Amino acid sequence: MQVIAHTERVAAPSSAGNRWLRDAIGVSLIVAAGLAGYWLFPDNLALLTRVIAVALLVLSIDLITGYCGVATLGQAALFGAGAYAAGIACVSGVTEPLTLITIGAVAGSAAGLLMGTIMLRAHGLAQLVLSIAIVQLFHEAANKASAYTGGSDGLAGLMVSPLFGVFEFDLWGQTAYLFGLALLVVVFVVLKFIVSSPFGMLCRGIKQDPIRIRAMGSFVFPVLLKMFVISGAVAGMGGALAAISTQVVGLDSVSFELSANALVMLVLGGLGTLYGALVGTVIFMGFEHIVSAINPFHWMTMVGALLIAVVIAAPGGLSGVLEKVSGSGKRVKTGGRA
Amino acid sequence: MQTVLSIAIDAFAYGMALFIICIGLSLTMGLMRVVNLAHGAFAMIAGYIASYAARDLGLGYAMAIFLAIIGTVIISIPLERLLFRRIYGRPELTQVLMTIGITFCVIGITNYFFGPTLKTIPLPGSLSQPVDVGFKTIAAHRLFVMACGVIVAGGLWYLIERTDFGIKLRATVDNAAMADALGVRTQVVYAVSFAIAIGLAALGGVVGAEFLPIEPYYALRYMVTFLVVVSVGGAGSIPGAVVACLLLGAVDTTGRYLMPEFGNFFFYAAVIAIVCVFPRGFFGRAQ
Amino acid sequence: MKVSKRILGAAIGALLMGSVPAMADTIKIGIIGPFSGPFALQGKNFQAGVEAYMALNGKSVKGHDIEVIYRDLPAANPAQSRALAQELVVKEKVQYLGGVYFTPDAMAITPLLKQANTPLVIFNAATSAIMTQSPLVVRTSFTTAQTTSPLGKIATERGVKKVISAVSDYGPGVDAEAAFKKAFEAAGGQVVEAIRMPLNTTDFSPIMQRVRDSGAEAVFAFLPSGPTTLGFVKAYNETGLKQAGIKFFAPGDLTQESDLPALGDGAVGLLTTFHYAVSHDSPENKKFVEAATKAIGGADQLSFPSVGAYDGMHVIYKMIEATDGKQDAQKAVDAVKGLSWTSPRGPVSIDAETRHITENIYLREVVKGPDGKTLNKEIQTFPNQKDPGLATQ
Repeated sequence: MQVIAHTERVAAPSSAGNRWLRDAIGVSLIVAAGLAGYWLFPDNLALLTRVIAVALLVLSIDLITGYCGVATLGQAALFGAGAYAAGIACVSGVTEPLTLITIGAVAGSAAGLLMGTIMLRAHGLAQLVLSIAIVQLFHEAANKASAYTGGSDGLAGLMVSPLFGVFEFDLWGQTAYLFGLALLVVVFVVLKFIVSSPFGMLCRGIKQDPIRIRAMGSFVFPVLLKMFVISGAVAGMGGALAAISTQVVGLDSVSFELSANALVMLVLGGLGTLYGALVGTVIFMGFEHIVSAINPFHWMTMVGALLIAVVIAAPGGLSGVLEKVSGSGKRVKTGGRA
Repeated sequence: MQTVLSIAIDAFAYGMALFIICIGLSLTMGLMRVVNLAHGAFAMIAGYIASYAARDLGLGYAMAIFLAIIGTVIISIPLERLLFRRIYGRPELTQVLMTIGITFCVIGITNYFFGPTLKTIPLPGSLSQPVDVGFKTIAAHRLFVMACGVIVAGGLWYLIERTDFGIKLRATVDNAAMADALGVRTQVVYAVSFAIAIGLAALGGVVGAEFLPIEPYYALRYMVTFLVVVSVGGAGSIPGAVVACLLLGAVDTTGRYLMPEFGNFFFYAAVIAIVCVFPRGFFGRAQ
Repeated sequence: MKVSKRILGAAIGALLMGSVPAMADTIKIGIIGPFSGPFALQGKNFQAGVEAYMALNGKSVKGHDIEVIYRDLPAANPAQSRALAQELVVKEKVQYLGGVYFTPDAMAITPLLKQANTPLVIFNAATSAIMTQSPLVVRTSFTTAQTTSPLGKIATERGVKKVISAVSDYGPGVDAEAAFKKAFEAAGGQVVEAIRMPLNTTDFSPIMQRVRDSGAEAVFAFLPSGPTTLGFVKAYNETGLKQAGIKFFAPGDLTQESDLPALGDGAVGLLTTFHYAVSHDSPENKKFVEAATKAIGGADQLSFPSVGAYDGMHVIYKMIEATDGKQDAQKAVDAVKGLSWTSPRGPVSIDAETRHITENIYLREVVKGPDGKTLNKEIQTFPNQKDPGLATQ
């Protein structure tokens, strides 16, 4: 049973140069938006840094769900693994921020490997349920191992040393934000390379028709597992960034709620484009911030209504809508089920 | 030995409460192939109606249950018409998202109207007494839940195996197009099954309110449990749902007795183990 | 929604009052609490306490107008807590931070207090260790260790020698277990078993079975206030433990006044220890309950977080007086060390060393009042209790 909506992009057979140009423009737009955020909202940088951390998580889900067709409600396990690994390392004395991000990435990929091995055994709904069970198990483990993780009190007091020895992570969050932005851009560029590579093509082929791929002679399981590992690394980096910038790691970083919210953000923005992940995250979290401040009771209702609206009216998410409106030359293929 | 029996009784009671709620979800997922994550929301709505009826209107328990079931089914009709119909046949992720959206809306609206506090459903005097069954004192209400569960299981079995409607239902599950071609009115079958599923969720929500307290986050909080139970049992299978509920109920209860601080750990580890061995659940049908 | 109306009201009030004297500035206080979600009632209590204090003591201190800004934090979410605190300090430029219901949220805020030059006055979060995280934290609520310790003596006084402890497996729960064990064993009792229950347990029969099997004469319990507590107390009644004569001891979180209606008659007879009961008989409390009930909108919604907020505001007002409206966190905190006053709960003071509140702890019994509703009635007082969790440090 296919798990994902069949709305996807088929790369237009334009020249490679055209694609480079488009992606270059895309990345510079991201950088521009990031810097605009820096100048427009100098007092809200903590929130914006958190948005970036969650955007990394959502990107990681896009890799698995948008490009490989594996629906998951347990990605927060990877995010949390990275966050706690960075947190524990920091509390034990490793305070250099780049090292911490690397530690987060490694922890995330290890967790991704584990998760992929378990999840890929099943299909369809069972797979989804496995992802939920895994994130809940991670949650329980983090709660139980309170000696290391602080349990439900959280891991506090992460003192991160200044970046490059010069830029301090202070209350106003400027260093954290610019650091996070740079990290996001670098990761995004790398991911763009990965998904346009033959490996990425293979993943998309698997999403569309695993049997045919097998018939071609490729192995499905190792390819998907590799993507899980990459996705884990990205999510782990997001978790480490969150740990560094907020100086606290709580159980909420390894919760089912975070996974579900992240999936919603991705769907909102549109699966399978990487840009959609960013758009969805920014809009969802921005919305949440504004609406919760005005009227916390109605936040849930609005999200629910938004989800329903997206499902009914815009299955490709917002980037799907943008595509249709701008008609930028990419073919949008919508398949249906019998 | 006494302890073992005692735990067994507790597990059975909990399992039956889960069963009544989950069997509806199993039917929806198995028959109509809709991953209805809003199932818990319907159970919750029923709980609220029953609580309102019993507490604020002062009606009896039986009346409250009756009103809750009717009320929830009535509420579900426009939802089915307007929203659920759009996701039949759509990919699972779409259904998950739509039904999560419905759940969020229901939570927000309930929060707005009823406030965030817990709502209890006052039990009649006869059901709130502890009953001494020899080796254990058990709340009378638990016996009631167990009885309900057994009746529901039996009733459903009878309905599906021995009635005309049951035959049509099974035919539609096996091959909807063919059944339609043969003159079975599949739309009616779907509508009635959906109503039955929601009605069962409502009943489960009300009688299970002692295990799963009614508050606005009920729909989300237990959604994972319901989904997991149905997946383990295999969607669409009554024996599967019974086995899954009892087994998971037993694992949960025993785990909580022996090592309470690990509580959920065993539950989810068991789920992973079972799903790895039975990827389609115990009695799931190959899709 | 109510929150923004209040802010608007306070702001307009501040503006109007500020337009009369020549030199009035506005001092902002940021309150973080659960105003939505499962603990929304506790946040509402915070607000009620704050508004009651301001109604009775005015909206300005020494010519400085007070503006209260509320931020919603529905659950224990350290990252969000820190983000909110950061926003309040950097964007809203608050001079004082207050509120905080959950321990992890408080722990996440403490690292930034020094840089922000802002004191934090905790209205609820009840774990001892928070005070050691920063010298700029003052607490006006209680700690679980503080409210639980008297139970040790109380249990032995009632002839109980063996107790089984059942707590929720999280920070305050573990604190409660440790505090009770220490106090009870010091009084000559024995804790036969210590069970830790996962936070999301809803079915307590297996736990009750274990309580029975342990052969204990009483059970000591601690759970977070809300749905789980209800289930626990009900299970205690329904599985016949009450009839079997097994006593029940717990800190007052389990019988908070806003939960009593749901517990119904099953709660009658439960013994709890706590720092505050709405029924406390004193003129200060009468005034407080009247003002807070008006602010919260319903008498049965009033509970202990409101008095924590009320006294917290008292402390903040004193800090503003001492610093004359200037932002100097260390001076503010130093000024209230040793401060003592009569709170609605009884006589209290801020311990100069730990900055935690010293207060009376009362033994209460749930009884049926003259109007048929259950209430916590104070039957014994343990005066001037400090926090035993901090005393050893």
